[in-house]
Amino acid sequence: MKKNDKKWVILCSTALAAVYSAGYFTTETQANLGQPLPQIESNFQTNSSPVNGSKESSNITNSRYKDGTYTGSGMNRRGSIEVQVTIKKDVITDVAISHFAMHYSDRDVVGMPDEVLQKQSPQVENVSGATYSTEAFQNAVQDALDQAQNAVG
Amino acid sequence: MTAKKWMKTPKGYVTIAMIAFLIIASIGSKNIMGIINSIIAVGVSLTVNYFYCTITNKKGSRDGTIITGLIISLILSFTTSWLVVAGTAVIAILFKHLLVYKKKPIFNPAAFGLLLSIFIFQTGQSWWGAFGDLPAWTIIFLLIGGYIVTDRVNKFPQVFSFLGTFFILLFLMGYFNVGNAADALRPPFINAALFFGFFMLTDPPTSPAKVKNQVIFGILSAVSGIIVYGIFGGLTYLYIGLCIGNLYSFLQKRSPSKVSSLRQNVKPTHRGLSK
Repeated sequence: MKKNDKKWVILCSTALAAVYSAGYFTTETQANLGQPLPQIESNFQTNSSPVNGSKESSNITNSRYKDGTYTGSGMNRRGSIEVQVTIKKDVITDVAISHFAMHYSDRDVVGMPDEVLQKQSPQVENVSGATYSTEAFQNAVQDALDQAQNAVG
Repeated sequence: MTAKKWMKTPKGYVTIAMIAFLIIASIGSKNIMGIINSIIAVGVSLTVNYFYCTITNKKGSRDGTIITGLIISLILSFTTSWLVVAGTAVIAILFKHLLVYKKKPIFNPAAFGLLLSIFIFQTGQSWWGAFGDLPAWTIIFLLIGGYIVTDRVNKFPQVFSFLGTFFILLFLMGYFNVGNAADALRPPFINAALFFGFFMLTDPPTSPAKVKNQVIFGILSAVSGIIVYGIFGGLTYLYIGLCIGNLYSFLQKRSPSKVSSLRQNVKPTHRGLSK
């Protein structure tokens, strides 16, 4: 190939763009499946059926959260995390990572469920170099807490 | 060498592109930590390079060392602790000097250092300097810088064969619903692939010069990278792909010397016969 063969470069660039576009549109459905559900729909679903929540729903009048186990998800450009948060009498009693689909190591978030239990808050300490996983985890826990809060109402 | 002459060298082009990306990405993310990390990475790289060259009485490319430091800081998340940034730079520069053939590194130093840093430090690599966190339209900067640098180092066959194979394989993965092709074709992973293809794959000392070998190098890197991505996901796929390509380039460099040595042994016989 001649160094200055601009036509060749333009032709290959066009072919690349075409193949990329084909791949992009082919995977559009797959990409959309990874998007979070709209907030209203998400709340509606959890209001109707919090997991294990039906037996312990007596003290809802003055409670901040409705007792039960709620599944929350958090995602960003680097992947998604799904957590299950169990609440009893307004206390977070258990946090478990039910699905980890970040492009980073899951070791970054291993200690976070315990931190949530200690702090009783989704605002865990930001792990150096693992900002995206930390953010996704925080959002997932917050999502679960929001569902528990909305379930009271 | 004057500044004007240096700016026209391939390393000058790449250095300018990396600094431009550093500035654009820092402005876009409204965070100065990336610039601080780049100073740390370049400073540590130059220090390690200086001490290694002084102790072993060898020459080392200062420009290449700066580029390695800049690439490391553009890929590691700017929230990465300075110790991890420095550690990655040390690994990259040490292996640049330790794994050599004919005084040239076998593996791309930045890619090799970043690959090892994933396993050693579990580094979170955000490719922020490839505008992974910025709006998709900023990819235009990557394309402009990438085409200019690729043209300068005459590596279009390599870049096109890599990206072409990469996109075709991802298209097939998406079509047959295998693995997570959707992520790889979208920001920030497409940013990573473009940055990688234009600025790391094209590193002249670790990649072949002949067109045919460039094409094979690009295809090999893409195929091995996609296999790793399909099986393991994560962020190591591009580096492992490049390491396979670097090994191919290394073997190519070794084989001509064998051929030439064979020729040297054969020549006298031919002469003898012709007489």
